[in-house]
Amino acid sequence: MDPSGLEKIEATQNADGGWPYHKGGSWTEPTVYALLAKRAAGISVPASDKAAAWLSAAQRSDGGWAPRTSVDQSTWVTALVTLLAPEVVGADRHARGLDWLRGLTGRDSSPFFRWRELVVTGKLIPSVEGIGWPWFPGTSAWVSPTSLGILALRKCYARQPSTRLRERIETAQRFLFDRRCADGGWNYGSKHAVGYDLDSYPETTGQALLALAGTDPGKLKDSFNLAQRFLREHRSSGGAAWLRLGLLAHQQLPAGAPIFTMPCRTLPDTALTVIAQAAEQGYNVFLD
Amino acid sequence: MRRRDFLLTATGLGLAGCSRAPAPRSRSLVSVTRAPAYSQNIYDTVRRILAEHKLQVRGRRVLLKPNLVEFEPGTTINTHPMLVHAAVEAFRGLGAKVAIAEGPGHRRGTLDLADAAGYFDIIPDFEDLFTDLNLDEVTRVRLPHPVSPFRSLYLPNTVLSSDLLVSMPKMKTHHWTGATLSMKNLFGLVPGGVYGWPKNVLHWAGIHQSIADLHSLFPRHFSIVDGIVGMDGNGPIQGNPKPVGVLVAGRDPVAVDATCCRIMEIDPARVWYLTLAGGLDGIAESNIQQVGEPVESVATRFELIPELQGLRSTQRPA
Repeated sequence: MDPSGLEKIEATQNADGGWPYHKGGSWTEPTVYALLAKRAAGISVPASDKAAAWLSAAQRSDGGWAPRTSVDQSTWVTALVTLLAPEVVGADRHARGLDWLRGLTGRDSSPFFRWRELVVTGKLIPSVEGIGWPWFPGTSAWVSPTSLGILALRKCYARQPSTRLRERIETAQRFLFDRRCADGGWNYGSKHAVGYDLDSYPETTGQALLALAGTDPGKLKDSFNLAQRFLREHRSSGGAAWLRLGLLAHQQLPAGAPIFTMPCRTLPDTALTVIAQAAEQGYNVFLD
Repeated sequence: MRRRDFLLTATGLGLAGCSRAPAPRSRSLVSVTRAPAYSQNIYDTVRRILAEHKLQVRGRRVLLKPNLVEFEPGTTINTHPMLVHAAVEAFRGLGAKVAIAEGPGHRRGTLDLADAAGYFDIIPDFEDLFTDLNLDEVTRVRLPHPVSPFRSLYLPNTVLSSDLLVSMPKMKTHHWTGATLSMKNLFGLVPGGVYGWPKNVLHWAGIHQSIADLHSLFPRHFSIVDGIVGMDGNGPIQGNPKPVGVLVAGRDPVAVDATCCRIMEIDPARVWYLTLAGGLDGIAESNIQQVGEPVESVATRFELIPELQGLRSTQRPA
């Protein structure tokens, strides 16, 4: 593993324990990715660690986490925090975070919404297969937060299996299958808009493949081919990392896949690159 | 009212000048300037446009906000980097401190996107000038007179601390709003780091209403619309290149966007966010002092998807 990524992560930690995206104040997302990268590299993070303390203190009274402490709303980043081992923020905090996450669905997922739209606007909204997660409460479900929600609940299920959890994971996976584009990959949201097919993106295709680990590979052949093509043409380190992680989850990363060539321009890019490198060496922190 | 909210309200009101309520109306100056290609001539053209509008920016912090959407350099999705560089040079020539910022709606690697779109190649020291608004520090700003359900929005401090925001959109059709121009370009100010990618809260709050509310915070930003090659059809991403050969500029975004619509042969009175923000008075030709090329000499029919045919001007320019 390239040690420079971990060194960069160490060097950019804020005094309060969190990490910025570039520079400046601490945000939840880069802080979690930094901790996941450390974990992937075999560095354990005790609850006494100042990053863990920063995350613990940042939990909101509803059990969720906000993107940063000055924002007055729990959002999708709660899924990221719950990807961490429970001992990082403490088992109780972790469980409350999972409760918050399980209570969140895309607003467009409910039959009530479709009924209301029909009555108010006269538009028949097609029913969405599966139930995903939104970025922000009160809005639609999207591919990225749904993929991360699945990954968080899978970890939880591995520790404590339950029918309810399994059903939530499966219904979210159905959402991803339903949103797959004609080319086999994933756009950030729907597969079409105003009747036109939408294009897939590398990042979301990698994330969705990762979240669909363990599903029928026969259904994903086109997705593997597209992800491999995206990887050859990758234009961002974040995209390349997600693609590698997604393909590795299905043992579809081609031997001799091109190495990372794009610079890591944000902390999450750096951390995801470390995480993908660790996954290639056998430890996928999102799945294992 | 908590002191913090009060202060943020004051910030918002300060940005708004006073409020959305129009002062006694003076005609808004909108220039339409021929610019047939992305060539070296564009630098002089932008200098002339700024001189025409008599912008006083010496010592002021000017923030250029292009429209960066996709990685593709050979398409007409993004504001052309040469136009942005020309604006950097022109504002610097007037003594301003210039920065560039954008918060793309759905692609997360903003700098990677800017790199692929040619910004690093064309704008020297681009990375030093640029702020990713999706990941910037934020402050909650209360909306003075919201028409959407929002009462406040988190906005990037880089935007809030600038003296003049310059919206530099591409002249494009938009499959939800009809046209995306200087006002719709303000969606890029809303931080993805808070609201996600895309900023779906704006859609749920009503796209038109959200545009009008953002406009209420920046009612006198300057606009330079990249209409050298625009996009028609299924914009703002999957449409077709549409050569128009113009730059449209002015201090009144409603008037600028209404003029662009007329060039695109879209009826501005049927673009809801324009009438929400400016009323019929704000888009009336009689209230716009249009200089440079007459609209009718540059107007060209932008193809619209079937769902938007109702926006078509009933009358073609003479």
